[in-house]
Amino acid sequence: MAETTSGARTFLDSLLAGAEAGSDALKTLRARALERANALSVPTTRHEEWRFTDLTPLSRMAFRQATAGAALDASAIAHWTVPEAATRLVFVDGHFSVALSSIVSVDGVRVERLADAFATGNAVLASHLGQIAGFEHDPFVAANTARLADGVLVHATRNAFAAQPIHCLFVSTQADVVQQARVLVVAEDGASVTILEDHVATHDGAYCVNAVVEIDVGANARVRHVKLQRDGKKAFHLATTAARVARDGTYSNLAVTLGARLSRNNVHVLQGGTGTHFELDGLALIDGRQLADTRTFVDHAQPHGTSRQLHKCVVGGGAHAVFNGRILVREDAQKTDSTQESRNLLLSEKAHVDTKPQLEIFADDVKCAHGAAVGQLEAEEVFYLMSRGLSESVSRSLLTYGFAADIVGRIGIPSIVRQLDAAVVERTGGQEIA
Amino acid sequence: MSAVLQNLIDQPYKHGFVTDIESDVVPKGLNESVIRSISARKNEPEWLLEFRLTAYRHWLTMTEPTWPNVTYPPIDFQDISYYSAPKPKKKLASMDEVDPELLRTFEKLGVPMHEQAALAGVAVDVIFDSVSVTTTYKKKLADVGVIFCSFSEAVHEHPELIRKYLGSVVPAGDNFYAALNSAVFTDGSFCFIPKGVKCPMELSTYFRINTQESGQFERTLIVAEEGASVSYLEGCTAPQFDTNQLHAAVVELVALDRASIKYSTVQNWYAGDENGVGGIYNFVTKRGLCQGVDSKISWTQVETGSAITWKYPSCVLLGDNSVGEFYSVALTNHLQQADTGTKMVHIGKNTRSTIISKGISAGRSNNSYRGLVKIAASAHGARNFSQCDSMLIGDRCSASTFPYIQVQNNGAKVEHEATTSKIGEDQLFYFASRGIDPEEAVSMIINGFVKDVFTQLPMEFAVEAGRLLGLKLEGSVG
Repeated sequence: MAETTSGARTFLDSLLAGAEAGSDALKTLRARALERANALSVPTTRHEEWRFTDLTPLSRMAFRQATAGAALDASAIAHWTVPEAATRLVFVDGHFSVALSSIVSVDGVRVERLADAFATGNAVLASHLGQIAGFEHDPFVAANTARLADGVLVHATRNAFAAQPIHCLFVSTQADVVQQARVLVVAEDGASVTILEDHVATHDGAYCVNAVVEIDVGANARVRHVKLQRDGKKAFHLATTAARVARDGTYSNLAVTLGARLSRNNVHVLQGGTGTHFELDGLALIDGRQLADTRTFVDHAQPHGTSRQLHKCVVGGGAHAVFNGRILVREDAQKTDSTQESRNLLLSEKAHVDTKPQLEIFADDVKCAHGAAVGQLEAEEVFYLMSRGLSESVSRSLLTYGFAADIVGRIGIPSIVRQLDAAVVERTGGQEIA
Repeated sequence: MSAVLQNLIDQPYKHGFVTDIESDVVPKGLNESVIRSISARKNEPEWLLEFRLTAYRHWLTMTEPTWPNVTYPPIDFQDISYYSAPKPKKKLASMDEVDPELLRTFEKLGVPMHEQAALAGVAVDVIFDSVSVTTTYKKKLADVGVIFCSFSEAVHEHPELIRKYLGSVVPAGDNFYAALNSAVFTDGSFCFIPKGVKCPMELSTYFRINTQESGQFERTLIVAEEGASVSYLEGCTAPQFDTNQLHAAVVELVALDRASIKYSTVQNWYAGDENGVGGIYNFVTKRGLCQGVDSKISWTQVETGSAITWKYPSCVLLGDNSVGEFYSVALTNHLQQADTGTKMVHIGKNTRSTIISKGISAGRSNNSYRGLVKIAASAHGARNFSQCDSMLIGDRCSASTFPYIQVQNNGAKVEHEATTSKIGEDQLFYFASRGIDPEEAVSMIINGFVKDVFTQLPMEFAVEAGRLLGLKLEGSVG
């Protein structure tokens, strides 16, 4: 990341403004990240990893750090609450809201604010925070780490089991601000937790979210991570999720991208032991002038790993979907079994897709396959539905809905599935089929 | 199993020898005066010298590409001799006059000229170290109006055609190596099929690198006019040297309305020894332009040689309903590296393309498929199907796929599939249970793996390609 443009630099500076005090270890981490953030520059389309996503619009914005705004009324977030999740941590413009949050304790699963964990000197932080999501080469992760002050810590001790999802709700109420979001999940051996990461906004203005989620999955542990990106249509969303999975652990990531003018979702999954299982699913449902860029990196560094990935994009209007799925099978990662599918549906003439499923294999005894397809709805399928008496627009909506519902159905949290179903129906052609 | 396989894949290079023919070599180094000297030796017109100098000046501003998935020590472009021609240079009228040493060379390769010439309908334009030595069947081709000659001959005899089409598909400044080639290219082949003519025979060229440390910069230009069709064969073998040799060729194909061009390659340059010493750097730019409606360009390649292969035979599908095809087998062994694939650029309406790529990596080699399928906003009804399969033999080799799919038209349909596999114990067991020994089983499995591509090769080449895979992987391919 060599080149710098002054506008882009200004944007990075706004990300870095005003770091806060904390423990010595935290200060050291922040200082290291700050050093990297200052050394790195905002990538341009000349960087292979950012070839299709131009960050110029972002560097033209003059963002400031979000300050704690006016208290938000519980009714304002009522329609985003998830009845299945008793534990809810709400961050308004990046600041924790005590009034809106509720933490219900479950045996062995400790959920707290990162700020509290810093204050009590939680040992988990020293061994995990900033160590799973590397910031050496990523200016946004570096900036997030340099500004690290608060966030969510989920710590599941050995064999602990949380039946209910833990809802992390990040609400934006102010325009022209940058808000950071940070989550650390540590699931010790045999533990099982579900995290619901949810980004929403109460306004239509432009703002920027810079989110970093770190997940450590212990041996035989299971972490399920559902990410809903429902930011405003003028928002910028930059996010990195990094997971490290120990022997026989399972990590599943399901990301739904509906909002933001420009979004970039990096998912990096590292196999830290043998016999792990990864599931990565994605749905981007975009239109207008939206750009949704998903970049996943599955690192099979150990033998006997399996991974399953299905990424779908439904692109309408003049929107642009980007998918880059990299699967690396390292030298000794024998018996790896990995599949990846990228499916893209173009709904309009101006919509376009850039997809690059990428396999790099250095071991011979592996099964790897990937596939990509781009197209529009099959005329025959539309005709079939019309022959059953549906209008053309309803037929198209129904088929598009079916295409997207496949991913939504995998979420497994009924109220979220209902909410997303409604959103998908709205996007694919209104109420006619509802 | 690994011992058997190891035995099979460690076949030495059987085509390694140096033919002792006196060569006329330009001093090492690259500057404007070297280019002027090459141009003067070839007695070229002013416009061609200008083309070379423009390319050279552009080349000076460019940097060597680093994005391919290959590693090699930096190339000293000043340490290469950019021109060598075998002596004597007098024109030859018949096969009998060809240097007997040269004829013996071809005999060692298993394709004696006499036999080649006798093979029904094959004309061989033999390129021996950059200069055309002899051309057969020229008269028969001339009768139907097909021009098939060396590039330098074409420059003098058909300057208007060369001027019109040279650089029209691969511009002089297209990429680093294409620019280098445009500046210093020595010879190559030119082929022109006039309107409505179906070329009566397969055209073939033999490329050889002979003089030690002389890079070879071939230039091939094939033009098929309206309704014309041609099948062109290119085969490569090279003798064994210790120093690396640079090969930066440019191939341009132009297909006008309803024309069709089939271009087949079997490449077996010297790949270096098992420790990666020596071998050819094969940095080639090949591109075809389907300029007219209903035109078709088909690339078939069998890449078995070279220390490093870096080539992406491409099709620009400009004319409506035009068709592009790419069939490839890339085999790497020992420390060979290959970063190869294709680019299909759909611009016209209802354009179609098919990509079938089979990569086999063995030893400690590195085999990458890198491809681009681009559907421009104008390409309504465009269709692409890609299939990239890799086979790994041994646990120290690698196979990578980098398919870029860019779609800007919602009426297009693009499909891409890739798989990776190995020769399984269960497969070998199945063969064994039928009384087939492992060697033959491997040969049959490999043959099955590459079958989709080999069926695209012209008869003569299918035989030679089978022999090449045999040399590389097994004692004999069944």
